[in-house]
Amino acid sequence: MKGVEGDRRVRGVSGALVWSVGRTVPWRALGAGAVVGLLLVWLPRLGDGPPDPWLALNLLRGAALAFALGLAFLLDDPARHLTVPVTTRRWVRTGLRVAWVAPVAVLWWTAVLALIPEQARPPVGAVTLEAGATAALALAAAATAVRLADEPEPGPSVAASVLTTAILAGLLLPHRWSLFVSPDDPRWEAAHERWAVVLAAAVLVWGVCGPEPLRRGHLLRRHPRGAVPGSP
Amino acid sequence: MNTVMEATAPPVVHSEPRRPWAAVFALARFEARDLLRYIPVLVALVVYIGYILWGLLSEREGMDAFPALQDVDRGTQSAPFLLGIALLVCVNRAALRSRRRGTDRHFDVLVMEPWRRTVAHVLSVVPFAVLTALVVLGEFTWEALKPGAVGHGSVAELAVGPLYVMLCGALGVLFARLVPTVFAAPLLVLGLFTLSVFVSAGTSDAEWSRWLSPVVGENSTETLPSDLIGRPAAWHALYLVGLVLLAATVAVLAGGGRTWHVKAGVAGALALTLTGAVAQSGGVSPELTAARERATATPEKEQSCIRHGASTYCAFPEWTGRTGTWAGVVDRVQALAAGSAAKEQLLVRQRFDATYGLTGDTTIAPLTAPHQVTVGTRWGGNRVPEFAAAVASVLVAGDEAKGGELCDGRMVTVMWLALGGAADPIGDLKNVRLDDSLSGSAIVLAPTNPLSMSAGQTSVTVELLKRPRAEVTAAVKEHWGELTAPGVSTAQVARVLGAEAPKGADECEA
Repeated sequence: MKGVEGDRRVRGVSGALVWSVGRTVPWRALGAGAVVGLLLVWLPRLGDGPPDPWLALNLLRGAALAFALGLAFLLDDPARHLTVPVTTRRWVRTGLRVAWVAPVAVLWWTAVLALIPEQARPPVGAVTLEAGATAALALAAAATAVRLADEPEPGPSVAASVLTTAILAGLLLPHRWSLFVSPDDPRWEAAHERWAVVLAAAVLVWGVCGPEPLRRGHLLRRHPRGAVPGSP
Repeated sequence: MNTVMEATAPPVVHSEPRRPWAAVFALARFEARDLLRYIPVLVALVVYIGYILWGLLSEREGMDAFPALQDVDRGTQSAPFLLGIALLVCVNRAALRSRRRGTDRHFDVLVMEPWRRTVAHVLSVVPFAVLTALVVLGEFTWEALKPGAVGHGSVAELAVGPLYVMLCGALGVLFARLVPTVFAAPLLVLGLFTLSVFVSAGTSDAEWSRWLSPVVGENSTETLPSDLIGRPAAWHALYLVGLVLLAATVAVLAGGGRTWHVKAGVAGALALTLTGAVAQSGGVSPELTAARERATATPEKEQSCIRHGASTYCAFPEWTGRTGTWAGVVDRVQALAAGSAAKEQLLVRQRFDATYGLTGDTTIAPLTAPHQVTVGTRWGGNRVPEFAAAVASVLVAGDEAKGGELCDGRMVTVMWLALGGAADPIGDLKNVRLDDSLSGSAIVLAPTNPLSMSAGQTSVTVELLKRPRAEVTAAVKEHWGELTAPGVSTAQVARVLGAEAPKGADECEA
C-alpha cells in the first residue's frame, strides 16, 4: 500500500502491490483452461497403439487454445471502476498480472509437452512459438476489449471471440496462408514465419492498448452518458 | 379500510388471468434480438450466409451444374458448424447474465418462475434454427432447380443443419445451468470436440459411435442412387430431436422446474434419444447389401434403356433424364469418325461399384462385350472428356478392355475423336490427363480403366488439336482405315495427318 498512497509521484512496484495484484488474477479461469489443456493431451494415453504425430500436434494446439481461453479472462477486474484513478499506471498493473501468470504458463507448457510421448512430439521450438502466439493473441484481445470498452469483466466476450477466431482461421485461411500445417509439409517453415508475425502483431496491439487512455473513446461503450465511472 | 381493500382486490386479479407463456415468448423474443448483438454470433451469421452465397453463385467446377440431390442434402450439414459454436457460447453467456450482474435475486420477486426464464433462453435459439432451415432450403432449392439436377433429396438429411444449431443453443443453456461460470462454455466446446474425435477414433469408426456426432460425413465422393446410400438419416434426425429436447428439459430441471411435466419431458426425450441412437447404429441391412450387389453386378436388371439416334443408353431410374446429354457427346465423337465407326450402334451403360456404399472410392472393371461403353453417376466438368475418351477408345479398339490397352498410333486417333469436337479441346486435354500437362507421357482418365499416352502421342495430339478443325477432320476421315489399323505407329499417323513425326518408337513396339 505504501507504494500507492502517500507521495504524488508514481512509485514503481511494491511488494504489497505485487501481492494484491496476485490475488486479483482470475486463477479459477486460468486453472480451468490449464486443466482442460492437460486433459486434452493426456487423452491419447487411454488408447493403446502408437501415438499419431499429427494427432499429437493438433492436441498440443488444442491445449494451447484451452490455456489461451483461460488467459482471455486475465484482465478482468471487477473493481475496475475503482482502480482507474489509482496512481499506479495501468500497464504496470496489467504487466504484473502477466508476470504472475508467466511462470505458471511456462510450467504448464512444460508439463503438456512432457505428456506427449517423445516419438510423437513435434519440433518443440516451433510448437512453442504457436502456443506463444495463441496466448499473446488472447492477451491482445483482452487488452483491446479493456481499451475500447468500459466493461469491467470483458473476459467472456474475449474468450468467445478467441474461440471464433480460432475456428475461422482453421476453416477460412486459404491454402497458401495456412497456419495449421504438419511438420512434414513443405509449408512448415513459412507457416511459422506467419506465426511469428502473429506473435509480433499481438505484442504490438498489447503494447498499444496497455496504457489508460486520457479520454474515453466512444467506441463500444455500453453505459449511457453520465454513468461513466468517475462521474456521479 | 381493510374490508374495502379485501372487497375490491379480488375482481382486479380475476379480470386479468395470468398468461405466463406470453411472458416467456416475450422474453425469448428479447433474448433472440439480444443474441444478435454478440459479435461472434453476428460474425458467424455473416460468414455462414456469405459462404453459402459464394458457393451457390460461383460455379467452381463444371460438375456443379449437374448436382445429385442425394448428395446436395448431405452437403448442407457442415456449413452451420461455426454458427452453432458461436450460439452455444453466447446463449450460455446470456443465460448467465443475471448471475454476472447480480440480478438473480431480483428475479425472485417477479411473478415469472426462474425455470420459465430457462425455457425462454432455449426458445431464443429457435429464430436462428429457423434461419438456418431457410438457408438450407434455399441452397437445396437452388441446386434442385438446375436443369442438370438428378436424384432425390431427403428431408431428414436437410433437417440436420437446423437441428444442430438448435442443439448447440440448448447445450449452451444446459451448461449455464449445470456449471454456472462464464469461462466454462468455451472450454467445454473444446473438450466436447476433442472427445468426439477420440470416441470415433477409439472405436475405430464403428457404426454406433460414428452416428453419435450430430453431423456425420462420408469418405467417398462417389454418387449412388438414393435407395443404395443406406444412411439412417431419419433415425439420426430423431436422435437429434431427442438430444435437443433432452438438453432443454434437463436445463429446465436444473433451472428449478421440478414439476412432473418437466420430469416426464426428460424421460420422453431420453427415450427418443435412445431409440434414435439404437436404431441408427443398425448398420447395413441384408436387403440393402443384396440391392447393392445387384446394382453392381447386374445393372441391366435395374435399368431402363432409351434410344437416341443409333445408340442405346441404359441408366438407373434417377438418371434417365441425363441420357440425352450423354447422347450429345456420343454423337459429337462419332461425327469425327468414318467408316463403320461413324454408324456404330453403341450401348452406353451406367455402372458403379456400390458394394461398400459410401465408405470409400472404388474403381470398376472395363466391359469386355463389344461396342459397350461405361458411364458413371457424375457428370459435367472433367467427367465429360473422360466419357468421350471411353467412347472414342471403344469406337477405335472395339471394346473397353482393349481400349485400355491401346499403346500404338491409334491412341492419337482416339484422343482426336474424344476432344476434336469439344468447345475447348486443349483445356479438356489438360483436364483429362492425370497430371494436367500438355507434354510428356501421362495417364488419361476414363470411367473405368485409364488410357495412357506417350510423349510422342501427346505432341502429335496437341498439334492436331491446335490446327483448324475442318482440315484435320477431313484428313482423319480420308485415312480412317490406316489410322485405326492395329499396330500403326505414332510416326506413321503423324505422317498421314501431316503433323511433325515424333522421334522415339511407341512403347509397345519396343
